Amino acid sequence: MAEHDLPQRSTPRSYWALSVLPHLVLFGALMALWEGLSIINVIDSIMVPRPSEIVSAIWRLYVTERIIYPHFVVTFTEAVTGFAIGATIAVVLAVASSLSDVFQRYVSPYAIVLNVTPGIALTPIIIAWFGYGMGSKIALAAVICFFPIYVNALTGLLQTDEDREDLFRSLGGTKVQVFFKLRVPSSLPMVFAGMKIGLTTALIGAVVAEFAQATEGVGVLMGRFSFQLQMAASIATLLSMTAIGLLLFYAMEFLDNRIVFWGRENRMARVSRARAKAWQRIMHK
Amino acid sequence: MTAAQADAEPRRAAPTVVAGDAIVKTFANGSVTALDRASFDIPKGAFVSLVGPSGCGKSTLLRLIAGLIAPSQGAAIVHGREVTGPRPDIAMMFQKATLLEWRTSLENVLLPTELSGTVTKADRARALDLLNLVGLKDFAFAFPAQLSGGMQQRVALARLLQTGADILLLDEPFGALDEFTREHLNLELLRIVGEFGATTIFVTHNINEAIFLSDQVFVMTPRPGKIAKIVDINLPRPRTLAMQLTPEFNALAEDVRATLGAL
Repeated sequence: MAEHDLPQRSTPRSYWALSVLPHLVLFGALMALWEGLSIINVIDSIMVPRPSEIVSAIWRLYVTERIIYPHFVVTFTEAVTGFAIGATIAVVLAVASSLSDVFQRYVSPYAIVLNVTPGIALTPIIIAWFGYGMGSKIALAAVICFFPIYVNALTGLLQTDEDREDLFRSLGGTKVQVFFKLRVPSSLPMVFAGMKIGLTTALIGAVVAEFAQATEGVGVLMGRFSFQLQMAASIATLLSMTAIGLLLFYAMEFLDNRIVFWGRENRMARVSRARAKAWQRIMHK
Repeated sequence: MTAAQADAEPRRAAPTVVAGDAIVKTFANGSVTALDRASFDIPKGAFVSLVGPSGCGKSTLLRLIAGLIAPSQGAAIVHGREVTGPRPDIAMMFQKATLLEWRTSLENVLLPTELSGTVTKADRARALDLLNLVGLKDFAFAFPAQLSGGMQQRVALARLLQTGADILLLDEPFGALDEFTREHLNLELLRIVGEFGATTIFVTHNINEAIFLSDQVFVMTPRPGKIAKIVDINLPRPRTLAMQLTPEFNALAEDVRATLGAL
């Protein structure tokens, strides 16, 4: 075991030195430049706050005053709930469209109309329908995340490999088997690509609806700070949206990595070992 | 002594298992004739190659026998019954390995069993044996992306055998592989189908490969696609690579080439 320790430990260290460090150096230099330009008044520090002011605003919002958390939770919940609703409808309609040409022919014009209409422009109507609370934010998030997921899932389900379909047919596979054992798994990479885009647009929907009319949420908080010309706090709040976005994106990335393991070298090796173990259990039961 | 090693003579007397009764296949509302009145009898355990240029209808003929497409006229007859759709006594292998990337080699081999019912412990044991037979025991739990092209085709071959079909249809199965791998896999294929006593129909555009593998070569010509000549290959079995250098082999190749040249 001991002889394996050295190379294993040196790999993350060189990874750190080669790929993380240069980013930190560049980022630090840019921040220092910004700070310096503010100090010598090239940048107006009232409109564009200094990095140090943003850091202290973050400190206040998250550590000393701790006022951002309820808003963070509200926006996060709106985006995730809206996404869940939009994605469910999108996947159900994509499956139905992939199974029936007629269904697809009648659904796709509506999907296209919905897509070319700026989803954000629905905000006033949706607020009139669903009110000032979380309902309208969830609804807008659901509406604008629908299309990318629908299109990607449908494309994934419709991409067919002639030879594999022939294989299933020659083996006497039923339509149900072709769907669940061939079409669905083959579509998963595309479905996840759509989900990742959809999750990001759901967050846009939630925040835009908050800007328009709301009492809670990071959008509300940010609007309030900007109105009071508290730019550092406003930018600190903006960064919390970035945090929500990253959280959602990487959660989806994690699922993608788990479920669509094929084609990912390290994941395949793991799943392969797990399948071998499962096999042993079955055979020696 | 396996079926493949037996003389060509007694096999001639074997019962016909696959026959063509003036099969015609047209496409585009009859304007394109892909296959024109193909008639033939293939005896049990024979290895037959369909050889010819693109567009000669060899893949079409294979798909007709497999029941994947229906003839415009005439019929393919297997075990005395007209082919009306895919059936369990016929299995097919393609130029692409057509493995499912999310399944291990073993799970891919088990696909035919899974599609036709429940998978028993005996089915699993058989799948593992077949992987062993094609030399992939150590890769039973590998995914297709972790295998070379040749290994993927070996998995596809094991899957073909897992069906238990006694008629194997192979559509240029090793056509996308390099020459060395292909020669090697052809030898393995002869050993394996010999062991199973399967009747094999093999599509290729390589004349030497067709002669090397087969008891009979159906020489096919395009526009319209038809069987121009059936060449009997009376070379002894088991076949060796060295046979390709003998005058008998060259005479057969000349015969096939002349038929293909005389369009």
